[in-house]
Amino acid sequence: MREKLIFEEVSKIYGEGDTEVKALDRVSFHINEGEFVAIVGPSGSGKSTLLSIAGVLLSPSKGRLLLDNKDITTLSSKEMTNLRLEKIGFVFQSSNLVPFLTVRDQLLLVAELAQKRSKVADYKADTLLERLGLSHRRNHYPENLSGGERQRVAIARAWMNDPEIILADEPTASLDSKRGRDVVEMLAEGVKSRGKAAIMVTHDERVLDLCDRVLTIKDGRLLEMNSTQKTNLKASYSNNFIS
Amino acid sequence: MFLALRELKFSKLRYFLIGFIMILIAWLVFIISGLANGLSSDNASALQNMKADHFVIQPDAENKLNRSQITDEQWKEIQKQTSIHASAPLGLKILSVTKMGTKDKMDITIFATDASGILAPIVVEGNQFNNTTKQEIVVDQSLKQEGIQLGDWIQDPETEQKWKVVGFTEGQTFSHSPVIFMNLKDWESLIHTNPQQKKIYYSAIALQIENNQVANLKNEVKDMDVITKDEALQNIPGYKEEQGSLNMMIAFLFVIASFVQAVFFYVITLQKTNQFGVLKAIGAKTSYLARSLIGQVILLTIVAILLSIGFTYGTQQILPASVPFKIETETFILFSGLLLVVSVLGSLLSLYRIAKVDAVEAIGRAE
Repeated sequence: MREKLIFEEVSKIYGEGDTEVKALDRVSFHINEGEFVAIVGPSGSGKSTLLSIAGVLLSPSKGRLLLDNKDITTLSSKEMTNLRLEKIGFVFQSSNLVPFLTVRDQLLLVAELAQKRSKVADYKADTLLERLGLSHRRNHYPENLSGGERQRVAIARAWMNDPEIILADEPTASLDSKRGRDVVEMLAEGVKSRGKAAIMVTHDERVLDLCDRVLTIKDGRLLEMNSTQKTNLKASYSNNFIS
Repeated sequence: MFLALRELKFSKLRYFLIGFIMILIAWLVFIISGLANGLSSDNASALQNMKADHFVIQPDAENKLNRSQITDEQWKEIQKQTSIHASAPLGLKILSVTKMGTKDKMDITIFATDASGILAPIVVEGNQFNNTTKQEIVVDQSLKQEGIQLGDWIQDPETEQKWKVVGFTEGQTFSHSPVIFMNLKDWESLIHTNPQQKKIYYSAIALQIENNQVANLKNEVKDMDVITKDEALQNIPGYKEEQGSLNMMIAFLFVIASFVQAVFFYVITLQKTNQFGVLKAIGAKTSYLARSLIGQVILLTIVAILLSIGFTYGTQQILPASVPFKIETETFILFSGLLLVVSVLGSLLSLYRIAKVDAVEAIGRAE
């Protein structure tokens, strides 16, 4: 199985000397093709830092980082921007769509930023909206969409540049459990069918059963959840759902 | 422009409001500049339309034509200079005169000159005066508003000199008063009405001369000063003060325009900090976002300028004829360009903000 993303002994240190804070401490893991991985942990544990480094928004202080078999540990900010544009899809908390763009334009913006606006991009945007059941909303502005619809648009936008990996930052934070689950299912389905990978930071334990693996982070150290715990989680979720 | 245009379309009201302010400011700039032009020509069209580029005057006259005296000997000396293409003496006097038979006084400026020289006016109605006629004058047609017609006599109550109006000319005013042209003979008799004034003098000598020969001439003429037409213009009584205050208003308007736009776009940019973070995270370069903002500023300013130019022409139609208002294409082009420049300068503050937004802010943050 191909590895999409590899963290090798990655540390991130903020500040210097006495004020030094270790946000990430020698974190190592890898994510394979077709894998959907959840990261859980209390606030301040380093989840956001991990996601920012995986998303090439931050450079690690130490360690090595490989995306799609390419070393991306030390890049200039320009190279980082281009890499995000080409290889990474983001789904943020509460969607963060651009308020003045229609649903379809949200997707076309990605093509525009990559200077790849064409008939192909139009077709791709329309297909994605179709797949996520948003065709009837294509000319609506975000303010006229429900929370779930907005997150689906954000997912469609994330797929628009055909990324190697999708990074989702608490995508269910502003949704009720039913809609949250729908959104995560859509993410998972996309990852499987395209043979890509995804990391999702979440607080929402009810959707963890949809993930292939759950990584727990605490004080900057990574603990992988074992399969028993995961089965328990799944069971507890099913129970909740039935009752 | 993908983002810029869609944002303008989406936030119509917001951009309409700032656009409206820009229109008002640009409109006011154009109206004031029209007034400045109008007043300037109302004040000094006689000098502006003069076919001379330099004047020889007395050194102690503080560049004021009406204070200067050049003797006949000096005039003869100047005539000998070979570098001068053409020259003509000019006698200038500001008087209060009456139409004969009435008591109402009006201010006029006398331009006495060689009727066949470069300063002779172009007659639009009636006859030209010449160097042999006596007591015949050509006057600016604005005197028609005072009830002066061809054949009327004008009298100076102080010296009891009188002249007959034989022709009208146009665009000849000096210090907001109409100019009357007379020949040097009549000038001489006017001067001799002062018993202490035995010798004839002129106020200045108008010259046509190459710029690079001015320095030579300055060395050659003794006890005389050579000034440019513009220097003479600036020293017409009241001219500098009038233009100065209007130009100061225009300068302030440019500063206001710059700040209004700067503040507007800065506040909008601050409001969108989060959005810029997201855009940068999904791969938008700072330069792309900057182009988008500058595009909006330029588009908005150009539309505002074009509309306000239209409104300025409309204003000109409405203004009564007595208001001196003159539109000049060069001024429009210059001020439009300046407005565009100050608008773009004002947006630099926002660009700095955009450049400082870090893409990492998009993570771990709810709206």
